[in-house]
Amino acid sequence: MADVGRHPNVELHAYSEVDAVTGYVGNFSVTVRKKARYVDVKECTACGDCEDVCPITAPNEFEIGLSTRKAIYQPFPQAVPSAYVLNIEECLGNNPIACGKCLEVCDKKCIDYDDKDELINIEVGTILVCIGMDVYDPTALDEFGYTQYENVITSMEFERLINSGGPTKGHLIRLTDREQPKTVAFIQCVGSRDENRGNPYCSNFCCMNTVKDCLLIKDHYPDVDIKVFYMDIRAFGKGFEDLFQRSKDAGTIYVRGIPGEIEEDPVTKSLKLYVENTTEGTVECHKADMVVLSIGAIPRRDSSSIQQLLTLQRSQDGFFLEAHPKLKPVDAATQGVFFAGCAESPKDIKDSVTQAGAAAARANRLMMQGKVKVEAITSTIIPDLCKACGICVKVCPYHAISCDTKAKTPATVVEAACAGCGACSAECPFGAISMKHFTDPQIEAQIDAMLEVDAKDKVLAFACNWCSYSGGDLAGTNRFQYPPNTRLIRTMCSGRVDKKFVLRAFARGAPIVLVSGCHFADCHYINAVHWTQRRIEKLWDELEKKGIRPERLQLEWISAAEGQKFATVMRAVEELRQQVTQEEIEHTKKVLADVLEPSKLRAPKQPAASEEAPAQEAAA
Amino acid sequence: MAEVDGGNGTLRVGVFVCQCGLNIAGTVDCDSVARFSEDLEDVVVVYNNKYTCSEPGQLEIRKAIEENNLNRVVIASCSPRMHEPTFRAALEAAGLNPYLLEMANLREHCSWVHIGEKDEATEKAKDLVKMAVARARSLEAQEEMIVPITQKAMVVGGGVAGIQAALDLADAGYKVYLIEKEPSIGGIMAQIDKTYPTMDCSI
Amino acid sequence: MAEEAKFKCLRCMSEFCLPYTPGVTEERTCPNCSSNSVRRIKGDKK
Repeated sequence: MADVGRHPNVELHAYSEVDAVTGYVGNFSVTVRKKARYVDVKECTACGDCEDVCPITAPNEFEIGLSTRKAIYQPFPQAVPSAYVLNIEECLGNNPIACGKCLEVCDKKCIDYDDKDELINIEVGTILVCIGMDVYDPTALDEFGYTQYENVITSMEFERLINSGGPTKGHLIRLTDREQPKTVAFIQCVGSRDENRGNPYCSNFCCMNTVKDCLLIKDHYPDVDIKVFYMDIRAFGKGFEDLFQRSKDAGTIYVRGIPGEIEEDPVTKSLKLYVENTTEGTVECHKADMVVLSIGAIPRRDSSSIQQLLTLQRSQDGFFLEAHPKLKPVDAATQGVFFAGCAESPKDIKDSVTQAGAAAARANRLMMQGKVKVEAITSTIIPDLCKACGICVKVCPYHAISCDTKAKTPATVVEAACAGCGACSAECPFGAISMKHFTDPQIEAQIDAMLEVDAKDKVLAFACNWCSYSGGDLAGTNRFQYPPNTRLIRTMCSGRVDKKFVLRAFARGAPIVLVSGCHFADCHYINAVHWTQRRIEKLWDELEKKGIRPERLQLEWISAAEGQKFATVMRAVEELRQQVTQEEIEHTKKVLADVLEPSKLRAPKQPAASEEAPAQEAAA
Repeated sequence: MAEVDGGNGTLRVGVFVCQCGLNIAGTVDCDSVARFSEDLEDVVVVYNNKYTCSEPGQLEIRKAIEENNLNRVVIASCSPRMHEPTFRAALEAAGLNPYLLEMANLREHCSWVHIGEKDEATEKAKDLVKMAVARARSLEAQEEMIVPITQKAMVVGGGVAGIQAALDLADAGYKVYLIEKEPSIGGIMAQIDKTYPTMDCSI
Repeated sequence: MAEEAKFKCLRCMSEFCLPYTPGVTEERTCPNCSSNSVRRIKGDKK
């Protein structure tokens, strides 16, 4: 930790958050908010004089509330940067008449009540997302009595109680009577591996953490009896089995079965654990002076902010999704962004360090080349067709298009800023925007080829590259079977799926058309997916007016992690397809025949007056 | 922007049907797909390989492009999210613009999800190749922009992973900005007493 | 407070009420079959 503070190449911004990110691989521009600390980090020597005179006490977050701190404090003794921080909400010092004591005693004069948040801008080529995890909150699991019984604690609280730097100087005591417990029980998988309550996944490190805790107790207090209640002990890593055996040899008793209920003795405050021992097949009652809940990991509760800033994706468990589970395990789908540590999945320190090394190597590999090729999938304006209506300017999530609607000069695209979603091209009422590598003729050629023969037996599905198409890939990798009637057309974003593509497909005899894209929170193009939904909603109305059942146009949001959902949707659309009659298809072909006439395709028409930008909250 | 089509405006499409061992060929009749592809518009040559992504497979693509003067390539194999970069490089090596490649996903989107439905899967595979050829015929060469990379990195989060990543990159000579939300770095690791498997101190 | 409006699922054809704010595009899911093909029934606001 101290190395980071000292390293000449590391610029540490503690108590800071990422406010905004623009740009693309190799050229990210980041706005960092340095939160007001009210203490000058450079000047503060962490002498502690301010803390001594501060009259305010508050729960110490680092000690998980097991001790107190002052309103001006150092998070923990080894903190880096080694400087104090003032919690202005708790401080009286805003008003010097009320207090101001710390200001008086500070020799270095490094306290400033008027400190303000500061925004700084940094330019970087790569971004490593290492935001870590939160721990599971066991209050919902009533049977363990975490909220009712003081001697039921979490494994994080236990860490502080056994830590020589902690509130008890490392003496393991019960919170009720400050006596050393004679029996300690650990309960495993609290919040993990439970579909219904908590999380379905294994949190990876809790088994070994408990094994370690048992050895620590036995080291300090050989006479303490320890029982561990578990489903499975997963001691899979190097040296892990050895450690597990050592804890058994030291006298730890492992009982297979998770207690269904805990009761407290109202006098002794000791606990009774009722458990079905699944090895013996018996229902047992075990006594313990203290119970430690081995709580699992959950994704950080504030994950969605960095997710949106960097257009990242998360898997179903809520942790960040890697570009490929085997071959790109630390790369994000967003080029130039990498993951390390528990941000990607729950893991222990060794794995976090390993992954951090891998992520650093991947970032290094990119940066050392000095330059990078960016995919040539961008939009281009066809000036002759552009009527300077300005719709594309509103559509573009990246503000890459500008257009002087008053001067009526054709719009222009900044290619470097264009990410290539194609929403502008789909929304342009004049067909004046062409998407490189995903042009109208290219996509129309696919539609026509697919529906040339036996159209009535097939479902046409548009799928976005990042989520739905990848969800289809995952269905494949997992061998989730579904009917073979669908044909996918890949676009970079569902926002590219022009209304005329859908109508063309129906005109060619498609019984069902599916448009699929990312969930709103996963959209790889900030909020381009909003345009998809708006367009489909309008299309439903239009189809209905033309006497075409709107349900023949289906809309689904399928993430890259939802292979199962992809297969379910494919089965659902096939069922819908079977309900579409030949007469219906013929009728549709007749009604829509005019969309196939080339002259009408590019026919300029007045844009609807009610075009508004989609809700901007996703972009904010 | 548009590719000069073999100098005389004619399209010459080469189709490579990949068996992927038995991954595709186990469900899809690749011979039948290959024969079907021969009759598609502008297709001049069709190959049927065991592993198109292998070194010999890639060499064959290069040779085929040169010998047949191909100006569009369709590879019917796995997901483009898997091997598009591989095959784009093969095109480039043969002097063809990488954007003149189109892939048909016969594995993740066909053979792996329609196991035991050989006839239907083969029909679907033919359609997918037909669609890919149709699209390939209107593909255009694209020039990729080359942008410089800022030789600096940002690490978001100063827990054990962030600290390690920041130090590795800093040691490699890059300027690193380490952004930590809390007043101190350390994260959850700093709260832990001893750590397994070495039973030593966390800080 | 968010208003509610009547919606219809275009997969399973069930009808239900969901929060709705005019002009705001939201991701919607059918409570019955989990489809996202959820269409607002116009002129039927509650």
